[in-house]
Amino acid sequence: MDWFSEKWQIINSLSPFLMDGLWKTFEVSSVAIMLGSILGAILGIIKTLDSKSLKLVINIYVHLFRGTPYLVQIYIIYFVLPSLGIAWLQFDSYTAAIVSLSLYTASYVTAIVAAAIDSIPAGQEEAARSVGMTKAQALYHVIVPQAIKLTVPPMASIYVIVIKSTAVLSVIGVAELTRQGETSILRMPGDTMFIYGLIAVLYFIYCYPVLRFASWAERKMKTSGSPQELA
Amino acid sequence: MYWLTELFNFRIVADYADIFIDGIINTVWISLVCLVLSIFFGIFLALMRMSSVGVIWRTAAAYIQFVRATPLLIQIYLIYYGLPHLIGNFFNEMQTGVIALTLHTTPFMAEIIRAGIMSVPRTQTEGAMAVGMSRPQVLYYIILPQAIAKLISPLLGQTVILVKDTSLLSIIAVFELMGAGLLMFSETVSATESYVTTAICYLIIYLLMLVASGFIQKKLSGNLAGAQ
Repeated sequence: MDWFSEKWQIINSLSPFLMDGLWKTFEVSSVAIMLGSILGAILGIIKTLDSKSLKLVINIYVHLFRGTPYLVQIYIIYFVLPSLGIAWLQFDSYTAAIVSLSLYTASYVTAIVAAAIDSIPAGQEEAARSVGMTKAQALYHVIVPQAIKLTVPPMASIYVIVIKSTAVLSVIGVAELTRQGETSILRMPGDTMFIYGLIAVLYFIYCYPVLRFASWAERKMKTSGSPQELA
Repeated sequence: MYWLTELFNFRIVADYADIFIDGIINTVWISLVCLVLSIFFGIFLALMRMSSVGVIWRTAAAYIQFVRATPLLIQIYLIYYGLPHLIGNFFNEMQTGVIALTLHTTPFMAEIIRAGIMSVPRTQTEGAMAVGMSRPQVLYYIILPQAIAKLISPLLGQTVILVKDTSLLSIIAVFELMGAGLLMFSETVSATESYVTTAICYLIIYLLMLVASGFIQKKLSGNLAGAQ
């Protein structure tokens, strides 16, 4: 019982502190997911248009962000961009976190959206065009409503990856959950394992529902006979 | 061209080329070891996950869900600070890093392998058992050869993720590519050269993997077409 009351005391004294961190994690991840999804959707739609040069630019962007670890991206955006001497690229750690995570999210969302749109049969667009819709109208009224359903399961999986990536933000000093945990450990070095375990549980509480939603959506999509190669 | 050397000092990078080559070798080496181990353990975990015994599949499922829903960084910390508690300082940083990364990658491999095995129709198993094969024989001769064809593309994708994940080991002082970048930064204090070089090295590995995976997939789909 001694062990329990001792650990309970730790939880009690740390909980406001860790909750601040969890809130920050929630805030950073949801803002980045929102911005990243919007940017990714736009880039994904542009990628399916017929312009070769735009496609090339977007592909380079996607491969740059998918080919390097997120840790490297955050170092470059936080430490390297300011040295270019351009005023609006001098990010504080919070802005750097949002910018890097949004760009990281968007690189995945772009590929998902482009794949979903490509998977809609070409006949749909031709039919829409033949009844007199413009290309934009066909996209807005016919293609996107069908494609958006297909993006749900892979998007949810990406969101979990993004939420988990916020832990890396502790290296640039954003006071999110991992960082708050590290600070708590400085105060209570004897309970390193317990505090990291506690943090793991908090991340789990945040991520697990999203993960379950992703696999639920995936199962639901499979029964309705949609293409599986999307993920 | 003067602005370019002002922005990016190629001479410093050339001085540190050896360190980056060492870093690349370590990254590739760690990735390979973790890849082999995680596929090996992943097969077992996938079979456990598909077991009909409640305790076994629940344990496997709990482990898989825990790893998938918590950040790798936290898992690395848990292993790095926890393992010495359990068994003493038996492993060095590099070995601890490999253990942490293998424990992280195994569930993902297991899920990929499970999806591959489940994609083989049940009738295949029933047919093989009807001609008198044992369960391991069915798995080895009938299911795995068919499953592997479907596994190869997600496995390659997971390998790309694994290589990128090795970068987090630099936080527990394992020397790999990211570690090389951090070392160069600590000695030269030039962020641009250190981190951009690191990024370029990762990109080179990534592009080589893309080319190789395209080659493997082409080869494999060719073989499949020939078999049919």
